[in-house]
Amino acid sequence: MIPHAPILAIVLPLFAAFLMPVVGILARRRGIKRAREWFAIAAVLAELVIVMSMLPVVWGGQVLVYQLGGWSPPWGINLAIDGLNLLVAMIVSGISALVVIYSFVYMGRDHGLDQYYTLFLLILAGMMGVTLTGDIFNLYVFFEIMCISSYALVAFRRNWQSIEASIKYLIVGSLGTSFILLGIALLYGMVGSLNIAHLAQKLPLEPTSAIIVPLALFVTGFGIKIAMVPLHMWQPDAYQAAPSAVAALFSGATATVGIYAMVRVVYTLFGVFAIGIMLAALGLVTMVLGAFMALTQRDLKRLLAYSCISQIGYILLGLGLGTSLGIQGGLFHLFNNAIYKTMLFMIVGAIIYRVGTSNMDQLGGLWKNMPVTATLFGVGALAISGVPPFNGFASKWMIYVAGIEAGQAVFTIIALIMSALTLAYFLKAFNSIFLGQRPKHLSDVKETPLPMMFPIMLLAVLCIVFGVLPQLGIDIVRPAQEALMNSGGYIGAVLGGA
Amino acid sequence: MVSESVLFGPGFWGPIIATAAMLLIAAVGGLILLGGRRLTKAKPSAEKLKTYACGEELEASDIHADSEQFFSPIRRVFRPFYRYIRPAHTGDLSTYLFWVVVGLIIILVSIALAIGVG
Repeated sequence: MIPHAPILAIVLPLFAAFLMPVVGILARRRGIKRAREWFAIAAVLAELVIVMSMLPVVWGGQVLVYQLGGWSPPWGINLAIDGLNLLVAMIVSGISALVVIYSFVYMGRDHGLDQYYTLFLLILAGMMGVTLTGDIFNLYVFFEIMCISSYALVAFRRNWQSIEASIKYLIVGSLGTSFILLGIALLYGMVGSLNIAHLAQKLPLEPTSAIIVPLALFVTGFGIKIAMVPLHMWQPDAYQAAPSAVAALFSGATATVGIYAMVRVVYTLFGVFAIGIMLAALGLVTMVLGAFMALTQRDLKRLLAYSCISQIGYILLGLGLGTSLGIQGGLFHLFNNAIYKTMLFMIVGAIIYRVGTSNMDQLGGLWKNMPVTATLFGVGALAISGVPPFNGFASKWMIYVAGIEAGQAVFTIIALIMSALTLAYFLKAFNSIFLGQRPKHLSDVKETPLPMMFPIMLLAVLCIVFGVLPQLGIDIVRPAQEALMNSGGYIGAVLGGA
Repeated sequence: MVSESVLFGPGFWGPIIATAAMLLIAAVGGLILLGGRRLTKAKPSAEKLKTYACGEELEASDIHADSEQFFSPIRRVFRPFYRYIRPAHTGDLSTYLFWVVVGLIIILVSIALAIGVG
């Protein structure tokens, strides 16, 4: 492991973010082209290496506890890394690396890229902070950093649509983070600690009725971030208005962090597996509403945004079932969702880059111009719809079986029907974009540029690999599932018998 | 390695075998397609490529399927569902905030019921 890797994973993108404007100024003065892009790519790749260096220790069954300033918990702030947050850190750093490579060309036509890459690195620092911290107030602070960067990134292009979406997201998101802060205040008033492990140790001694309000505030606050129905409405507006690279990052990384925060709080901090069935039921509603709304969309980005909502429903269903298979399936789906959802948003970005619109009524017949992109979109569409042999099938199947094993066969039947509906709206999208008559003005459209194609292809390969070899994916998520189901190990490692 | 029975319940799913079978079927399909090539050479002319509908001559861009109409039968079946759901997605911020409050109440009541108060 790289020395001080846990804190480096947070500090590196944070410092890189503040260095970015300086890099921009120096690059302009010295006439160095693309310096910002290379600096951002180097920072994010270094981040990935740092995260990966923690794998052998954590997958070896150890909980990495990093005490800031040498102060032992619960008095000092600590970073605590078990299988669960390492999985999320891997997803976040991996997706960020691919998105920053994709941005190299995709964002090339935009102005103000100093700000773009600063915000990009800042959101990465926020996501890493939320993921790795062992302190609930720190989690809130990093969550705010992540959210505020998100609002600015949605409004990055500063047109009417993006500013409106950003303001809506800001207001709804701020309400969510206020709920989280209020929840933290109530917990601190009750227990007098902000350390997650210490809180988890002390909360069972409090009366059950006392934890209802803070728990509801946390679930609602994080529910807004992951766009759980009925808290989802900001998401289609924000994803449609944001640059596709940003939407790809949101769908693959920030949504994953939101799920992580919710699961960490509900299962580790409160230790209430009893509300799992509520999460599963809300997941089911989220899945159904997302799928039905996606079916009626004309805009591809909006369709994908509703599809994101629907897929979050599957993850919540798996995690909410609370069985080892359900949690494993939910985490595997979280992992797979990050892969194909990022890929699909990147493909939409490629279409917008070449054609200038994501309105499906203005597209058609692009198969002839963009055969590779069309094939990759097909792979992503089949993967997300749970068609074998792609990765979505393996994780969805686990969730279906977990539903039946948990005595919730109705949940499984509904999830199966929604999978068919997912295939239906992606067939509509595929038909509208790539098949049929090609409008005359699209006859000169070129294939996706290679630097943009590379991350898409890599994600497509992962869709196939984790579908054909699902055991590989299950082996990756198993440490996370074990960590989630054994919060005693986390508490013991952090407090060390305190 | 976790056994298939854990992964896939009492049934059997061999992803590699299934993938090989799918590729084989695709290859057979491809061969049939190749074997089904037309024997006479296509002779397209401008007249043949025109699209007619009810006596009208249409441009290629006019016959593109409208995405709103795609799966319209499904939407007709679920009309009652859409009647209530679509108006809630107006883009109006007040509606969004209203649903956040409703969501908080739903979650609060659900948690209270799930962990058994009183």
